Amino acid sequence: MIEDNTQPAPIIELSGVTKEYRTKATFFSKGYTNVMAMDNISLTLQRGEIFGLVGQSGSGKTTLGRLLLKLESPTKGIMKFNGKPINDLKGKDLKTYRSKVQMIFQDPYQSLNPHLSIAETILEPLIVNKIGDIHSRKEKVIETLDTVSLAPGKEYYDRFPHQLSGGQRQRVAIARAIVLDPEFIVADEPTSMLDATIAIQLFKLLQQIRKKYNMTFLFITHNLAAAQFLCDRIAVIHDGVIVETGPTDRVIQQPEHPYTKKLIQAQPKFNF
Amino acid sequence: MSKNHYLARFQKGWQIFILNPLGKTGIILLIVFMLMAASSFFIPLLDPMYDPMTGIDPLIKESTGPSFHHWLGTDNVGRDLFAQLMEGAKVAFIVGLASAFISIVLGTTIGMISGYAGGITDRILMRFADIIMIMPSLVVLLILASLFGQFNIWIIVFIIAIMRWPAVSRVIRSQALSLKSRPFIEASKVAGASDIRIIFRHIMPNVLPLAFLYMTFRVTSAILVEAALSFLGFGDPSQVSWGMMLQWVWKSGHMFQAPYWLIPPGICISLLTLSFYLLGRAMDEVLDPRLRKEEERK
Repeated sequence: MIEDNTQPAPIIELSGVTKEYRTKATFFSKGYTNVMAMDNISLTLQRGEIFGLVGQSGSGKTTLGRLLLKLESPTKGIMKFNGKPINDLKGKDLKTYRSKVQMIFQDPYQSLNPHLSIAETILEPLIVNKIGDIHSRKEKVIETLDTVSLAPGKEYYDRFPHQLSGGQRQRVAIARAIVLDPEFIVADEPTSMLDATIAIQLFKLLQQIRKKYNMTFLFITHNLAAAQFLCDRIAVIHDGVIVETGPTDRVIQQPEHPYTKKLIQAQPKFNF
Repeated sequence: MSKNHYLARFQKGWQIFILNPLGKTGIILLIVFMLMAASSFFIPLLDPMYDPMTGIDPLIKESTGPSFHHWLGTDNVGRDLFAQLMEGAKVAFIVGLASAFISIVLGTTIGMISGYAGGITDRILMRFADIIMIMPSLVVLLILASLFGQFNIWIIVFIIAIMRWPAVSRVIRSQALSLKSRPFIEASKVAGASDIRIIFRHIMPNVLPLAFLYMTFRVTSAILVEAALSFLGFGDPSQVSWGMMLQWVWKSGHMFQAPYWLIPPGICISLLTLSFYLLGRAMDEVLDPRLRKEEERK
């Protein structure tokens, strides 16, 4: 969709972002051993694109998502959202920022509170951001449930997570992420716990949502095939370093970096 | 909206609970004691001489054994022991449940905050909890009672509660620690929820069953501490309780003369604490499926 990097006003800009984990100081060691989760990462995400971040386990891809949501802070580097730095957001600004940036978590069995009904889960972002009143919120929830194909929304309204399948739970998680109409969504391996047919349904759902609301997605995955199916551009991350970035088809058909080649060879072949 | 959910969970838990022999025994014992406590409200209405504290049988001047008018006999001034025993059940429930409730509220709140906040808050709260935890509550109560004279029953309840929250808060804290890193907490954080909302909306429903479990054990210990305190003569002298009855037996020199006076309160203390302990054990099995499986394998 968007091929050139010269397009103005990117939604997310990362420059030189580094994240180190330091082991805790104990009585016998001072705790200097650093684990470099992300090393000097620079990325630009354009509005409306689905950007894939591909890498193996432990490559730092989830860390990047967590940094963008301000669940963790980078050791070094600047992160910008719509041109404004988000490194030091606190309090009210952070809340405003988070209403524009949402996340879909990996494990739908862990990301929904078992004690809250579907409605309560999806209502929460609306309530804490004080959007609308009781009636408009309820309507919004039902509308969002319809959007994620949990239709009719009324039927799912009062259910609890344990009454839903994995795919349905993940749809609820997606509904919770999009109910605030965010501009940017981090999807952290949203289908890795689900089987392939459900995964494709969810990909199609994400594409519909992108089209409908013009949202930007950062799609984090270890699955090149999934990235190929869904993403406009991808970046390959290895040991905390981005080894290759480019349009999906180019990266997969003509990989430049040896690691990317290795990754492509290691993928089981699928044809969607 | 969510009532059905909680009802369903309760029913499921209840089934496991009631099939458990421990739970069944505990519940039956508890119901007996509840009836005893309830009867304490009606006995004085029959005749003023059955008032456990002030009612004196005008015909009796010394401790007498069981008779038609006094099922368990009377104490040395002619008060009815059966009425006192029933009154003692009521007091034991009040002391046990009230102090357990206060310590659970305190312990759960502090534990959740400590586990969720982490860092320096956690350290301060937990060191504070440690300091209180290592104090022997009976000894502290004895010292306080001897310093300030006789305590009102509610002050005793409150002090027991204050002494007994740390163990609860430690357990709840560890639970909150593990919940804190669960994705649904992060999801709610990302949605913009405040810490207070996360603690009370997301963490609390998940630790509440555990808190109730600990409440049953707190009830047991509160009843025992109150009984010991009363027996040693530091209880509330205006309040009949089982411990106080034992204190009166001992003080009036009837330890070996009046078994009908000595034995019933002793048995009641043991059985009531036992019943709460059994309830706790059975609840433990409801909450922890690993304990349950062995039963099913048999």
